[in-house]
Amino acid sequence: MAKSDDCVHILQGLLVFGNVVIGMCGIALTAECIYFVSSPNGHYPLLKVTEDSDINAAAWIGIFVGLALFALSILGIIGVIKASRTLLLVYIILMLITFAFEMASCITAASHQDSLTPQLFLKQMLERYQKSEPANNSDNEVTKTWDELMLQNHCCGVLGPSDWQEYTSAFRLTHSDADYPWPRMCCVLNAQGLPDNLDGCKLGVPGYYNSNGCYDAISGPVNTHAWGVAWFGFAILCWTFCVLLGTMFYWSGIEY
Amino acid sequence: THTMLPLLLLLLPAAHGIAQLRYRPALTKDPQLEGLTTASTFVLDQPRCVFDDYGNADIWLVVALEQAAFNNTAAPGTPETAFQGFPDRVRAYMTLNTTLVNYPCPKPDGDITVLRVGSETSCAQEPTRPTCNGPLPGPGPYWVKFLALEGSVPVAETAWSEPIILRTAKSPNSISTTGSGHSAGMIAITTILSILFAILLAGLVAMIIFWSSDSCSGSSTFSKPESVTVRRYNTHHVYDQPAARL
Repeated sequence: MAKSDDCVHILQGLLVFGNVVIGMCGIALTAECIYFVSSPNGHYPLLKVTEDSDINAAAWIGIFVGLALFALSILGIIGVIKASRTLLLVYIILMLITFAFEMASCITAASHQDSLTPQLFLKQMLERYQKSEPANNSDNEVTKTWDELMLQNHCCGVLGPSDWQEYTSAFRLTHSDADYPWPRMCCVLNAQGLPDNLDGCKLGVPGYYNSNGCYDAISGPVNTHAWGVAWFGFAILCWTFCVLLGTMFYWSGIEY
Repeated sequence: THTMLPLLLLLLPAAHGIAQLRYRPALTKDPQLEGLTTASTFVLDQPRCVFDDYGNADIWLVVALEQAAFNNTAAPGTPETAFQGFPDRVRAYMTLNTTLVNYPCPKPDGDITVLRVGSETSCAQEPTRPTCNGPLPGPGPYWVKFLALEGSVPVAETAWSEPIILRTAKSPNSISTTGSGHSAGMIAITTILSILFAILLAGLVAMIIFWSSDSCSGSSTFSKPESVTVRRYNTHHVYDQPAARL
């Protein structure tokens, strides 16, 4: 029947198009996740120390899922054109497994992004920054990361310099409150790395110390990272859902 | 009573002639300082244009835990007013002495004229430096006033300040890091994806059942015309043999 032939061809065309999009999205997902895993922004030590490396795990899963999507989309295109029931069944099953993995990755990225509150970073900073007997190397890394962070972003503490006043800290154990109301890195530094005006910094005169907190500088990259993995993955999965439903429909119509 | 007292003193003969200046020391309001009070220091305005009549006097700052504990006849630099004895043996100490030369009047615009009480950490434990401006040992409350001494005779004093309370630091263990709950986005992602996945699984199960039940193709839109299976009948003659059939 001419009409049903047309319908077959339209459905085949749609499925091939859908699979092409899935393939391209798979490559894009892989590229994005490789970028996040190897990202040059140095906040990874902070995240690693919070024992919260799940966002990184989500990115690693994203890499493999992306490659799998690309390979399966090619399989799907071949299966649709050849109208082969076996190929399409294999395709559907493997796609469902990939769907499940990507679903896990999205949910992990979304829920761990929620757990990165200012309080988490504040507690970590107070307990580990400039710890005098570093228990392991990660304490040194925390100190180095915070020093770089405060220097480059002209910020102090998580919510502000008063973090150092409101709470006792490892820093406070070795640096007296009168000499160091807050770390020297919170002062505006000159080219030699020394405070421009040490008294002004200790007093807290506007212009001689950094008055904002660093939370915005930390959470910005982390949020982009997490939402990139979570929401882009979600979009791909929605599209994949439609293509898979179409494939199942097509499969059930292929003559045996 | 604070306004009555200077008038009364002016009328009396100059036996105890300590002038009561109508200046009350206060924490600096302008500019806004982040470190106005810390755990062991605080910042006062300098007493500019207050001691102008006393060009020959030494102006001392008195820091006390109780106003009554300080007697104006106490001499600075003695163990009774030494910082090192504060707060156990000494309830009020004297520090930050200077002459009027350092408090020129009027204050130039744009200059920050403050006194940071508690900034000298090097002499805090040195008994040879009883007038050390050492860090304060606790959150207070503290009262301060300025006292002008000519030689060892007190000639003028300001009023006591309002009580000054310093900051107390909490332990970081009091910070709760249990998450603030799940955001709407995360719940939406989880719900929607779970539903989609369930639908796909149902579809897969339906497909497998469909295949294994070996029924005719269900959807008719694009199935090709069914190939009719033809049964082949043996068409040779069948002799009537009613007796053999039952």
